[in-house]
Amino acid sequence: MAALDIPDAVQVARIKRQARSNWMRIFYSRTALIGLFLVTFWVAAALLAPVLPLPSPTDSDVMAMGNPYPSAAHWLGTDILGRDILARLIFGARTVLSVAPLSVAVAMIVGITMGMLAGYYGGWIDTVISRFSDIILAFPVLVIYVILIANIGPSVTNIVIATTIASAPGIGRITRGLVLGLKEQEYIAAARLRAENTLYIMLVELLPNCRSMLIVDACLRIGYTIITIGILGFLGLGLPPPNPDWGGMVKESVTVLNVWPLMSLIPSAALVSLVLGFNLLADGMREAWKP
Amino acid sequence: MNLIVSNPKGAAMSGSSQSDTVLDVNDLRIEFHGKSETVVAVPTLSFSVKAGESYGLVGESGCGKSTTAMAIMGYLGNTGVIAGGSIRFEGKELVGASARELRAIRGRQIAMVYQDPMSALNPVKTIGSQLAEVPLLHLGVSRTEAMEMAAAMLADVRLPDASDMLKRYPHQLSGGQQQRVVIAMALLARPSLLLLDEPTTGLDVTVEAAVIDLIGELRSRYSTSLLFISHNLGLIAETCDRVGIMYSGEMVEEGPTGDLFRKPRHPYTQGLIDCIPDITHDKRSRSLAAIPGHIPLPQERPVGCFFAPRCTGFTAGLCDRPDLELEDIGGDHVVRCIRWRDMKRSQPAQLAQIGKAQVQTEAVAVSDLTKLYKLGGDRTLKANESVSFNAAKAEIVALVGESGCGKSTLARIVTGLDRATSGEIRIAGENVAEIQAKDRPRHLLQSIQMIFQNPDSTLNPSHSAAFSIRRSIKKFGIRKGKAAIEERVRELLEMVRLSPTIANRKPNQLSGGQKQRIAIARAFAADPALIVADEPVSALDVSVQAAIVTLLLDIQRERQSTMLFISHDLALVRHVADKVVVMYLGKVMEQGTVEEVFGGGTHPYTEALISAIRSPNPDEKRRVRVHLTGDTPSPINVPAGCRFATRCHRKVGAACDSVPPPLRKMSDTHEIACHIDAAELRTTPSPFGASAQGCA
Repeated sequence: MAALDIPDAVQVARIKRQARSNWMRIFYSRTALIGLFLVTFWVAAALLAPVLPLPSPTDSDVMAMGNPYPSAAHWLGTDILGRDILARLIFGARTVLSVAPLSVAVAMIVGITMGMLAGYYGGWIDTVISRFSDIILAFPVLVIYVILIANIGPSVTNIVIATTIASAPGIGRITRGLVLGLKEQEYIAAARLRAENTLYIMLVELLPNCRSMLIVDACLRIGYTIITIGILGFLGLGLPPPNPDWGGMVKESVTVLNVWPLMSLIPSAALVSLVLGFNLLADGMREAWKP
Repeated sequence: MNLIVSNPKGAAMSGSSQSDTVLDVNDLRIEFHGKSETVVAVPTLSFSVKAGESYGLVGESGCGKSTTAMAIMGYLGNTGVIAGGSIRFEGKELVGASARELRAIRGRQIAMVYQDPMSALNPVKTIGSQLAEVPLLHLGVSRTEAMEMAAAMLADVRLPDASDMLKRYPHQLSGGQQQRVVIAMALLARPSLLLLDEPTTGLDVTVEAAVIDLIGELRSRYSTSLLFISHNLGLIAETCDRVGIMYSGEMVEEGPTGDLFRKPRHPYTQGLIDCIPDITHDKRSRSLAAIPGHIPLPQERPVGCFFAPRCTGFTAGLCDRPDLELEDIGGDHVVRCIRWRDMKRSQPAQLAQIGKAQVQTEAVAVSDLTKLYKLGGDRTLKANESVSFNAAKAEIVALVGESGCGKSTLARIVTGLDRATSGEIRIAGENVAEIQAKDRPRHLLQSIQMIFQNPDSTLNPSHSAAFSIRRSIKKFGIRKGKAAIEERVRELLEMVRLSPTIANRKPNQLSGGQKQRIAIARAFAADPALIVADEPVSALDVSVQAAIVTLLLDIQRERQSTMLFISHDLALVRHVADKVVVMYLGKVMEQGTVEEVFGGGTHPYTEALISAIRSPNPDEKRRVRVHLTGDTPSPINVPAGCRFATRCHRKVGAACDSVPPPLRKMSDTHEIACHIDAAELRTTPSPFGASAQGCA
C-alpha cells in the first residue's frame, strides 16, 4: 500500500494558500482596513500626544476667548474657557483609549469565565449563571451605569466595574453558545479519553476555538464603551475635571451651542470616527474570518 | 411472504429503442468567480441522456457531478457561470435561455430530487400544500384537482394513508418518507427528465433499498429519463443503463453499465471498483486496493491526464500531453486514457496471511448491558437493552445496525464517555460499565481508546495535527522527555503512512483521509488493548476508505489489539470483522462469526440487511431482495415483543408482537433471537448462493 502523500507542487500550493494567517486576512477586507485606519489614527495621536507640538490642553488662552474660531494658533479653535480644542481632543483620546479597552478586557475575563462554566457544565450551574445574566441584561445599560457611578463616584476603577457588570453577561452568553456547540466535538471526547482535566479542556481545547468570535465581540464592545464613557461625561459622571474628556467637552459647550456649535460638534465627530472605526474593524474581521 | 426479485432496469429495455436524446450536454464549462480567483469546476464535459434511459454519473466528492446537475437546473448561484458549451434539453438550448423560458422547463419538464429531503421541503407548510403547488403552477389545474393528484401520487410512492399524509408537516415524517414525498413532488409535473442527486445517501440501507426499488418502478410507469448522480457504484450498477465516470470535472470513461463494470478501461474506474469491499469476500480472501493521493483541487490540475499523479501506469511524455481526448473503444464505450490498451484488469492485491485470532483469551465481555435515557414524564428512551457479547484478544468484533440501533451509545459506554444504567463490561477483570472517563483510573483510560467518525471534528482546528498525539504520549507516560516523545510521534505518523512534515500542519490544511490517519495514530499512541472505532470511514470517499480500512487492519494485526468496529456498512463489516453483532433498536438480534452471520441461516433482519447491499459486479447472481415495510420504530416506544416484529417479513404469529423472542443457539458462537425455531432458521438460504462459502 503506497498511501504516502505526494509532496508535490499541488500540496505546497494548497498549504501556502491556507497558511495565510487570520490576521493577514484582515488586510484583504476593505471594511476592516478603513476601520483599522481610523483606530490606528486615534491610537497614534493618543500615544504621540506628549511629543506633538500642541498647546496645553488645560491652560486658557484669554486672547482666544472672544474669538474661539479655528486659527493658526488653535487649529480647531478653543472652548469657552479658551482651551485649545485639538489638544483637548488628543489628550482626551488618551483617556478614552485607555479606559475603554481596559474595561472591556476585564469584562471579557469575567464574561468568558461565566460562559465557559455555564456552557461546559450545564445543569444547575448553567441555570444560575444564565438567570443572573438575564436579570442584568433586562436592565437598561445606561441606568446601570448611572446608578453605579452616581453611587460609587466617577473614577477609572468605577467605570471599569460598571462596564464589567453591564457587559459580562452578554459576553458570557456568546461564550456559552459557542461552548455548547464545541463541547460535543469529537476532539473534546478524545481529550477526555486521555485524562485531561476540565481546566485544561476549557483553556486549551475550547477557548482557542472561541477566539475569533470573541475578538470581534470585544472590538464592538470597545466601541460601545467609548459611547458610554462619552454619555457619562456628558451627564457629568465622567472623569473629574480638568481631565479632558470628549463627553465632558460636549457638555461644557452645550450652553453656547447656538453661538459656537463647533465646540460641541468637533468632539462629537471625534467620538463618531473612533466608534465607527471599531465597528468597521469588527465587521471586517467577522467577514474575513467567516468559516 | 413479500419477497420480490426486483428489476428496475425493466423500463429501459423498451425505452431506449427510440433513441432520441432528452438531454445533451456538450463541451460544458462551469466556472466559479470568487473575489480573487476563478475556479474552473468543470473544464469540459459532454454526455447525453436518451429518452427512457437511466444515466448514472459517478465520482468522488469534488469531481463536479453535483455542479453539473445544478448547471442543468440553472441553479449555479451568484458566483457560478456557464463559461462555454451547451446544455440542450429536447433540442432547446438552456444555456443563455431567458428566465421565463427556464421557468417553463424547470420543475415542469426537468425535476430534481436532492440529497437531503429535509432541506428540500418547507417545514412550515403541509405536505399537501407543497405537493399541490406543482400541478397548480405547472399544469394550471384547480386546487381540488391538484390535491387529488397529490393524493394519488402519494399512493404511487407507497406512502400509506395518503389523505392523512397530506395534512402533515415534513418533521412528522421519517427520512425515508420525506424522500418519497420529494420524489412524488418531482414526478407530479410528469417531467421527461428526473435528476437524482445522491437521493439515498442519508438513508438507512433497508430504507434505501425500498426507495431505489420505488424509483425503478416509477420510472417504468412514467417513462421518465433519469440522471442518477451517486458515489455508490453498486447503486449505479443496479439502476442505470449507461454510466459516466467523472474525475476532477472531466468524463474519464463512459459506457453501457454491464460493459463498463465488466471491463473498466480507465485506471480510475478500475481503482474505484477495486477499492470497495464487496459482500462476497472477507479480509482473508481479498484485500482492498486503495487509490493513492487525492483528487486535485481545480487550480491544481496537472497538464494532460488529471488522474496522472495517482496513476500507477503513468508514463511521462504520454500521459502529460495536453491533448488527451475521449477515445472510442467500440461498443459505445469511450475512455480518456491514452494507454487503455495496456491497462490490464488489476489482479487482487497480494494477500497478507491473516490467521484467525488464535489464542482465545477473553479481552472484553459485555453482559446484560442496558442504557436508558429518562426523557421526563414517564418516557424513557431505551438505547441499549440487555446487550451481551464478548471479544477475544486481537479479535475484531463488528457492531452492525441502522441508525438508532444503539451501537454508538454502546461505544460511548465502553469508552466511558457515557455510563450504563445497568449491566457489566469486563475489561481485564474490571467492570467499567458504570465508570465514566473522568472517574476511570489512568491505566483503564489508556487501555481503551477510540477512533471517531467525523474527520472534521476529530482534530482540534486550533492545534497542530501532532498536538493531540504528543499530548496522549505525555499524559500516559508512554515516553519520557521531549526528544523521546517527538521520536514516538514520528514513528506513529510513519505507522499511519504520513510524512513527518504533516505534524505541524493545522487540520484545515489536511484532507479528510489525512485527518482520519492522525486520529488513528492518536488512538494507538496510548498503546491501548482495546480500540473502539465508531464508523471510522463512513465520512470518507470510497478510494480513501479502502486505504484507511487496510491501514487500520494492518495496525490492529501488528499490535494485536482488540477492536470494536461499529458500522452500518455490511459489506465493509464482512471485510473487516471476525465476529459480528447485529443490533436493532437497542437489542442484539444475532451474533456469530462473520462466516456464520453472512453464510445463510440468519435472523430475518440480517437477511434484509444483507439483501439490501448492492454490488457493481454485473456477473454476480442477482440476489433475492427482501423488502421491509415501514420504518424503524422510535426507540422511545418500542414494540412489546420482538423489536423487529413491525417490519419483519417472516413473522410467525401473534407471539412475535407480544412475547420477547427466545435465544436460539445455532452453534457455540452463533446466536439468534427469533421466534422461528432453529431448524427452520437454518434452512434460510445463503444470500449469495454457494460461491461465497468457498471464498470464506
